[in-house]
Amino acid sequence: MLTGLAMVGVARFLEQRQDFEDATARSYQREIAARNDLVAGRNPRIARQTIKGEALRREVLRDEISAKTRDTALLVGAGLIAGLTGAALLFSGMIASMRRPLEDLVEASERLAGGDLEARVKVGGLSETAQLGAAFNEMAEELQRRAGERDQLERMKDEFVLTASHELRSPLTSVQGFAELLMLEREQLTPKQTETVEIILDNTRHVVRLLNDLLDLARSDAGRLTIAPAPTEVAALVEEAARSLRSRTAARGQTLEAEIEPGLPRVNADRDRIRQVLVNLLTNANEYCQEGATIRVRASRAGAEVEIAVIDNGPGIPSEQLEHIFERFTRGDAGMTQRVGGTGLGLAISKSLVELHGGTIAAESTPGGGSTFSFRLPAATLSETANGAESAAEPPGLVPNPAEAERR
Amino acid sequence: MARILVADDSETILLLIRTRLEMAGHEVETACDGQEAIDAVRRDPSRPPDLLLLDAMMPRKSGIDALRELRADGVEIPALIVSAHKEGADAKGDGDLAIDGFVTKPIDFDVLFERIAELT
Repeated sequence: MLTGLAMVGVARFLEQRQDFEDATARSYQREIAARNDLVAGRNPRIARQTIKGEALRREVLRDEISAKTRDTALLVGAGLIAGLTGAALLFSGMIASMRRPLEDLVEASERLAGGDLEARVKVGGLSETAQLGAAFNEMAEELQRRAGERDQLERMKDEFVLTASHELRSPLTSVQGFAELLMLEREQLTPKQTETVEIILDNTRHVVRLLNDLLDLARSDAGRLTIAPAPTEVAALVEEAARSLRSRTAARGQTLEAEIEPGLPRVNADRDRIRQVLVNLLTNANEYCQEGATIRVRASRAGAEVEIAVIDNGPGIPSEQLEHIFERFTRGDAGMTQRVGGTGLGLAISKSLVELHGGTIAAESTPGGGSTFSFRLPAATLSETANGAESAAEPPGLVPNPAEAERR
Repeated sequence: MARILVADDSETILLLIRTRLEMAGHEVETACDGQEAIDAVRRDPSRPPDLLLLDAMMPRKSGIDALRELRADGVEIPALIVSAHKEGADAKGDGDLAIDGFVTKPIDFDVLFERIAELT
C-alpha cells in the first residue's frame, strides 16, 4: 500500500515536472521566434512584448511547478506518515493480541508449576496463540486427572494400611494376650512348653513391631506423622525407655546405664515419640551387641539443644553401611540381620521423628570399637520462645518455671 | 478393686481381658457392642461401673459413639478407649468428648493396670 502511494506520488511529480518542462520549452521557442523577428526587423514592437511576456510566463510556470511539487511532496509525505502510523497501529494491535494470551500462558504455567492444577487459560486471539492455549489447557486437564487418580490411589493405600493394621491387631492381641496368660502360669508348664510359649511371644512382638513401623512409615509418607511436643524432662524419658529394655539387656548379660547431666533443661518433645526413638536405639544396641556388652545412655547439654546418645562397645558398623544406616531396610551384615531380625525400618522412622521435632540424628562407629547413635532436640526454654525477644535474655541452663511451661 | 465394664466385638478378646482383669482382682461385666455397653450402664443406676473400657471400632455402635451418648446423659464414669491405632480413635473422637485415655492393641496389661489404678 505504501509502495503504491509512493509510486503514485513519484509519477505525479514526474508528470508535473514534464508538463513544466514542456511549457518552458514552448515558451523558449516562442521567445527565440520573437527574437528572430526582432533581428529581422519584423514587427519589433510585438516581438519585444512577446520576449517580455515569455520571460514572465516562465516565471509563473516556475512558481506554479514549485508549488505543485511541494503539494505533491506534502501529499506523499502525509500519506506516508498516515500509512506508517496505520501500519504501526496494526502491528501493535497484532502484537498486543499475541502478547496478552502469551502473558496469560506464562502466568498459568507458573501457577501450574506451583501446584495449582486448576490453572487454565482463556483460549482466543490469533490462531497460533489459540492453539497454544488449547494445548496448554488439555495438558493441565490431563495433569489434574492424573493427580486426582494418584491422590485417590494414595488414599486407598493409606486406608488399606490402616485397615490391614487394624484387622491384624485384633488376632495379634489374642495371640499375645493368651501366650502371656500361659506365661503367668509357667510353674504349671514343662520347660519345653515354656520355651514354646516364649517363642510365640517373641515372634508376636516382632510382628507387632513390624506393623507399628509400617504404619509409621505409611503415616510419614502421607505427611501425617504428627507430633504433639510439650516440655519434657529428659531424665524421666530416659528412665522410661531404659526400664522397658532392662529385662532384655539383662537376658543377654548386658549392662545398661544412664548418665544424665545435672541441671539439664527440659526438651520440647512428644514424650511417646521420643521414647520410641530411644527404645529403637536401645533395642538396636541390645540386639547387635555381644552378650555382656555395656550400653550407656548419655544426656547432655549442647548449646540450645540437648543431646541424647546411646553408646555401646559392640562390634561397630563398617563405614559403607554407616553411610546408609538411616535409610529404609538398611541393616548390618546379612548374617547379623538374620540373627537379630529387626524390621530395618526403626532408624528411618527415628530419623523422621527427630526431624519432625526440629532436631538432628547422627551415627558414629568404628568397626570393633563400638557405635554411638545420638540425637539432639531443642531445649524447651529456647525453642518455645524462639520468636520472642525474651528468649535471648534468658541465661543458658535456666530450668523453666513449671507453671509458665504448663501455661504454654 | 474396681467394677469394670468392658466392650469389644471379639469374644476372644473379651475373654482375654476378663481373665486378666479378674486375675488382678477386678469385677468384670462385658458387652459386645456400644449399645450393650450403654444398656449395661443404665440397667442399675444405683450401682454404676467404676470404669469403662470401650473398643473404638465395633459394629452397630462404636465405643466412641456409646461414650458420647453416655456423656450427653451426664454419665461421668472414667473411660478408656481401646483402639488398634491412634488414628482409629482420633478420627472418631472429638475435642469435646471426655476420654480419660487410649489403650492400643495389642494390649500391654501392665500399662492397662497402671491406668486403671490411676482412674479408680
